[in-house]
Amino acid sequence: MQKDEMTQQDQEIRDLLRDYPMPHADAGFYDQALARATHEGSRRQRNRWLAAGFGAAMAAGLALWMIGATFFAGPDMREVDTAIPGITMALEEPRTVNLVFSSAIRLDTATLTVSLPAGVELAGFPGQSEISWETSLDEGKNVLPLTLIALTPVGGELLAHLEHDHRDRTFRLRLNIS
Amino acid sequence: MSTAENSQTFERLVRPQFDRLYRLAWRLTGSKAEAEDLFQELLIKAFGKLDDLVRIEEPGSWLCRVMYNLFIDEQRRFKRRRMHTVEESQLPGDGLAGLPGPGNPDYDNERLEKIRRLDRALAQLSDEHRIVVLLHDTEGYKMSEIQDLIGVPVGTVKSRLSRARARLREILTADGTVS
Repeated sequence: MQKDEMTQQDQEIRDLLRDYPMPHADAGFYDQALARATHEGSRRQRNRWLAAGFGAAMAAGLALWMIGATFFAGPDMREVDTAIPGITMALEEPRTVNLVFSSAIRLDTATLTVSLPAGVELAGFPGQSEISWETSLDEGKNVLPLTLIALTPVGGELLAHLEHDHRDRTFRLRLNIS
Repeated sequence: MSTAENSQTFERLVRPQFDRLYRLAWRLTGSKAEAEDLFQELLIKAFGKLDDLVRIEEPGSWLCRVMYNLFIDEQRRFKRRRMHTVEESQLPGDGLAGLPGPGNPDYDNERLEKIRRLDRALAQLSDEHRIVVLLHDTEGYKMSEIQDLIGVPVGTVKSRLSRARARLREILTADGTVS
């Protein structure tokens, strides 16, 4: 009797697993991904020296921009006020921005919050102006690629707020839309 | 070959595999955004290895293995980026939000609720267990195909599958999804 009950449970779970759905790719996603890959691949062949220099930072970037700063775990950690870097994006064309964080030590369970200006979205998260990741940082450089899409020509500032153990830093990137 | 010829050759080889690769990316990552990132990274990497790709008899299997390795590398680098302020299931077109709702004959309310519970149960499995059970029981991969993909012996695949099913049974029995 017990065996029969287990078999029935197993069968029901198998049926659920067989029906376990997944969404289809958005229309045009395959074409865009293919275009990005061939564009990026060709660009890399032209710029092998650059790819060698930046290594992993190039891994997922259609276009590369870096927000670089050192995220120290020390008690005197504070934001360094530097000139705000900027990029120019084309309207409604995805552009990948690589956020690059350097850490003096490994940090577990850091939280990264990205705040987007009105009219700019993160691919895959329509309508979300603030998105958080829980992540860890290895010692050295850590790269987080974000694909942005400008839906209006306004632009503004992207804020990347990194927090760990009650210490935090904020990095800014100006987004100009052409 | 010229850049244009390279692009055409690449497209001819990879486009027939797109649906299979997208499904694999989704099953590995469990989210649309990460699946798209993984799919994109695979194509970029594969285009850089076009010379190898044109000589491979079964580009689909090769691409799947490269994707799996990219997924593992990504885990090592970022420990999987997990959204925690945005519920994936609430994202339009993502997770289970894109499922047909009430009134659809394929997914009545009771069935939909069971699948949502299955989704939550799968999230409690380790990646290695979740991936094996999804590839085998959902996608219909053979044991040998999973072995080739993830690079572990068939015995290990069977063991992971058995443990994954047992854990699912435990969770889904406890919450009353199956009886």
